[in-house]
Amino acid sequence: MNAVSPEIPVPSQPVSASRHAVAVWPWPIALGLLTAFGLLSALLGQHGVWLALSWAALSIPLIVTVACLFKAWCRTPSVKGGQS
Amino acid sequence: MTTRILRRWFVVHKWTSLVCTLFLLIVCVTGLPLLFSEQIWDTFVGDDDPPYEVLPPGTPNASLDVIVDKARALYPGQIITSVNPDDDEPAVLVSMAPSWQALKDDENYPDRHSGHWIKFDARTAKILEQSRPADAPKEPRTWTGIIMGICNRLHTSLFAYLPGRLFLGLMGGVFVASLVSGTVLYGRFMKRLPFGSVRRDRASRLTWLDLHNLLGAATLVWATVVGFTGLVNELQTPLFGLWRVTDVRQILRPYADLPVPSQEHLSSVQAAFDTAAKATPGNEVTGLSFPGASFGSPVHYVLWTRGATPLRARLFTPVLVDARTGELTGAYPMPWYLRFLEISRPLHFGDYGGMPLKILWALLDVVVIGVLVSGLVLWAGKRKIATDARLRALGYDLDDGDGTAPADFALTPVEGAR
Repeated sequence: MNAVSPEIPVPSQPVSASRHAVAVWPWPIALGLLTAFGLLSALLGQHGVWLALSWAALSIPLIVTVACLFKAWCRTPSVKGGQS
Repeated sequence: MTTRILRRWFVVHKWTSLVCTLFLLIVCVTGLPLLFSEQIWDTFVGDDDPPYEVLPPGTPNASLDVIVDKARALYPGQIITSVNPDDDEPAVLVSMAPSWQALKDDENYPDRHSGHWIKFDARTAKILEQSRPADAPKEPRTWTGIIMGICNRLHTSLFAYLPGRLFLGLMGGVFVASLVSGTVLYGRFMKRLPFGSVRRDRASRLTWLDLHNLLGAATLVWATVVGFTGLVNELQTPLFGLWRVTDVRQILRPYADLPVPSQEHLSSVQAAFDTAAKATPGNEVTGLSFPGASFGSPVHYVLWTRGATPLRARLFTPVLVDARTGELTGAYPMPWYLRFLEISRPLHFGDYGGMPLKILWALLDVVVIGVLVSGLVLWAGKRKIATDARLRALGYDLDDGDGTAPADFALTPVEGAR
């Protein structure tokens, strides 16, 4: 591969506002770091507060998941009809 | 990323996932009861120990020598094989056998168990309980025991012993490869979608895909850690074997040909515990095996000590105490690969942060099952479409001239059906 990326830096023509390129990684990285912190804080910390932090950190990815699902199922009712 | 590279990642993700999904579903499902096995045993079987005597707090423990002498007096002529103080109860378990040779012979007869045990109260040295005699009728197995046994063996070895363990370890490696390739595809796919969007107003396939991406992204790090530590755990037999033929053999070489001394002439067991505790500051001594045990030395007590913190609780350091003189021969920290194995255990079992951590572990496990199932649905739904068409339908921008075509337009025919 060339050192210069062949890809055009400007995102290809958006059709609507929602088609803009979005930052892909902030959320997964944040959730990943929280998970890593949660896994390690209970393992390395021996005090109650580290355990509580671990529980909190590991709950957040689950809470975010449920929130996204909740949003999808409550705010945008399925409009497709009759198709599988 | 060119279309070719993207297509390769897609193929890698598809095949690595297909190879390991069935086995991962098995370990994810059987892992759930194993996670709560302590609670399940307590609930359905209960603690069959007799109640402990209530003594004023701070009552010192009886000397282990008293306990050992009592055990010997009960079974004169037999040998003691190990002495293990209980982790969380004031009890000491003493294991005995007619002879080392009898134990060795047991290996050739699966029905024969010449070893037996006696449980003592650690403080009063009174006998609490004994193992059932070998000729007594077998205790009927409980449903809990059967189900937990099946889960355990499916989870660790698929009922196939060492080959099963190594195979599941391989599947753990394939799973990690599938997570890596999935992450690359996620990066391409989510370019135009805000995180966490689940499109329900289009084809149901897109809903499944969005679900797969959301659940996968949320549990990526957890699944990687548990998958990789699972792989490491499956390697424990070869890793311990490696240690045994290298370091252990080296340490025991000077003593290998010595005869096993008679147990009447051995030094104090209590003193050996104290010596081992002094030799490994910060560790607690969890057990002692007598000279002559199959993995040990003919003339040493082997004492197992372990760290007192959650991180080090599974880091064992064996200590050798010469059973003829009672002198310390040495403490032998494990090699790096076994330390790595010991650290990876809590990270796989999720048992180091109390009940809330176990519940979180179970929920994350359920989410991973969701990732597996949604992946299967996606695969089953579009098997017939050629890879390129499928990539377009999934919303990847292929770099072959139509990069401007909005992803979902590929689904227009489907949408037109409504």
